[in-house]
Amino acid sequence: MTNALELRKLHQFFNQGTVNERHVLKGIDLKLAPGEFVAVIGGNGAGKSTLLNSIAGSLPVDQGQIKIEGEDVTYETVAKRARLIGRVFQDPQMGTAPLLTVEENLSLALLRGQKRNCWSFGVKKKQRQFLQEQLALLNLGLEDRLSAEIGLLSGGQRQAITLLMATLQNPALLLLDEHTAALDPQTSQIVMTLTAQLVAEKQLTTLMITHNMADALKFGNRLIMLDQGQIAIDVAGAEKAQLTVPDLLALFKHKSGQDLTDDRVLLS
Amino acid sequence: MDLLISSLSLGLLWSIMAIGVYLTFRILDIADMTAEGSFPLGAAITARQIVAGVNPWVATLSGFLAGCLAGLISGFMHTKLKIPALLTGILTLTGLYSVNLLIMGQSNISLLGRVKTVISLLPDMSTSSAAILIGVVVLALVIGLLVVFFNTEVGLAARAVGNNEEMSAANGINADNMKIIIYMISNGLIALAGSLMAQINGYADSSMGIGTIVIALAAIIIAEVLVANLSFGMRLVTIVGGAIIYRLIIALVLQWGVDPNNLRLFYALMLALFLSVPLLQKRIGQRRRRQKNIAEMEADQDD
Ligand SMILES: Nc1ncnc2c1ncn2[C@@H]1O[C@H](COP(=O)(O)OP(=O)(O)OP(=O)(O)O)[C@@H](O)[C@H]1O
Ligand SMILES: [Mg+2]
Repeated sequence: MTNALELRKLHQFFNQGTVNERHVLKGIDLKLAPGEFVAVIGGNGAGKSTLLNSIAGSLPVDQGQIKIEGEDVTYETVAKRARLIGRVFQDPQMGTAPLLTVEENLSLALLRGQKRNCWSFGVKKKQRQFLQEQLALLNLGLEDRLSAEIGLLSGGQRQAITLLMATLQNPALLLLDEHTAALDPQTSQIVMTLTAQLVAEKQLTTLMITHNMADALKFGNRLIMLDQGQIAIDVAGAEKAQLTVPDLLALFKHKSGQDLTDDRVLLS
Repeated sequence: MDLLISSLSLGLLWSIMAIGVYLTFRILDIADMTAEGSFPLGAAITARQIVAGVNPWVATLSGFLAGCLAGLISGFMHTKLKIPALLTGILTLTGLYSVNLLIMGQSNISLLGRVKTVISLLPDMSTSSAAILIGVVVLALVIGLLVVFFNTEVGLAARAVGNNEEMSAANGINADNMKIIIYMISNGLIALAGSLMAQINGYADSSMGIGTIVIALAAIIIAEVLVANLSFGMRLVTIVGGAIIYRLIIALVLQWGVDPNNLRLFYALMLALFLSVPLLQKRIGQRRRRQKNIAEMEADQDD
């Protein structure tokens, strides 16, 4: 079976060739089987966001290879790759167009990966009921707000809609970069539960960065820890299921030779 | 009365151009200077063809298409070559100055006399009523088509690009292409206005573009200050109102005895004033609320 994602010797540099050069990803090799839900953890500056941005295409890569469902996308633009990738950002403002309505935003997402034309309307009446049903699944009462401007909704509501937009078209790969970090603890849990539900329902291959160790252990069937641009820990299945937070910290110390330094880490 | 009618006919024409500028200005957040070149470009192409005996409506359409081409050039330089938008506009505008002279073969072409224009195709009307009729019909068509377009799949994607580029890319929208499309429609409309203007005034002149962007922005700002928060279609309709009001103000100023040579100084001062109105409104509102608050707090202390 082809891997949902395959990274080969992926490197990423900032300010290459200057005195400020930073070698942030140091030859990442990673394969994800279809349906794997991977929690990604690591200290500040470990390179987690850089990894996701490289996969999504927002950081061009010139060393290494990225394949999604067997297709080499290493040199494709963000927009081109979007046919394969659903994405939720940390900032709830980033995933939706604030001046467009809920329905317009969702309709845009429905056409992800397809050619857009000038002879059909962007918002289609016959899709309205489907969109309402999808919104109802979020349990946030958003099904009645199709014609509300998204900018008027709360951060949690916007993030939930972004999540829905990212998954509507069953992406080959779902990328979540601390997508609950900007939300209050309660909303954060709602969005996290939604995520788990959508991922399970649609069997989505997912990479989810989180600073919440408990979430990292509770959700997903695989866990990787990045340290200084390399994968330091990679556990899956039963081995992951048995881990506790103290185990994880001990494992980190064992692998990297130091304590996990992270100003935002949540151990609860 | 004459003043009203002439302001109406010119205002209607200006509003076609203002709607063009609005697309880049509000959807892409770019003040596109290309306008100052595409306006006389439309006039030049149309005048040249009319003199050669081409059907005036065909000549007008050519003017529109030439404007689209100018927009394509600016859009390409801005998106693919990453040249800052202001500079892109200035580059195209400067180049177009020569292009317009080349097209006309001289610095102006007269359309008076026997030649057929869209105005003289309507024989039993005075120039200003013909201009008003044509202005209304063309505007209705333009606004209608724009509203439809910006609700199609591509149009919605174009709006999303202006609103949140990152999100558009994540949803598979090629932002560069959408920007270029908006640049093209925008400059096509501006050139269309130039083309009609030449036919109404009876001449095309290589310097007739000077002031285009200032006039268009003034019309947009008047519309936005007078009525806030509107849907796209309604906004376009109010811009027509803004352009007519602006033209009326200028006609009054001219009648009042201001030297036409000073007119562009006046355009610039007016736009500077209009642009500061939203801030002034906010400041005044804030001051009122503060004074009210101070009064209430003092009254409270007295209790
Ligand atoms: N645009 C950039 N220019 C230069 N250096 C950068 C840039 N972006 C990131 N870096 C550096 O790359 C390293 C990795 O950053 P990255 O954002 O991937 O970390 P992270 O693991 O996501 O951290 P956090 O948990 O704080 O989000 C950091 O040291 C950061 O300073
Ligand atoms: Mg990060």
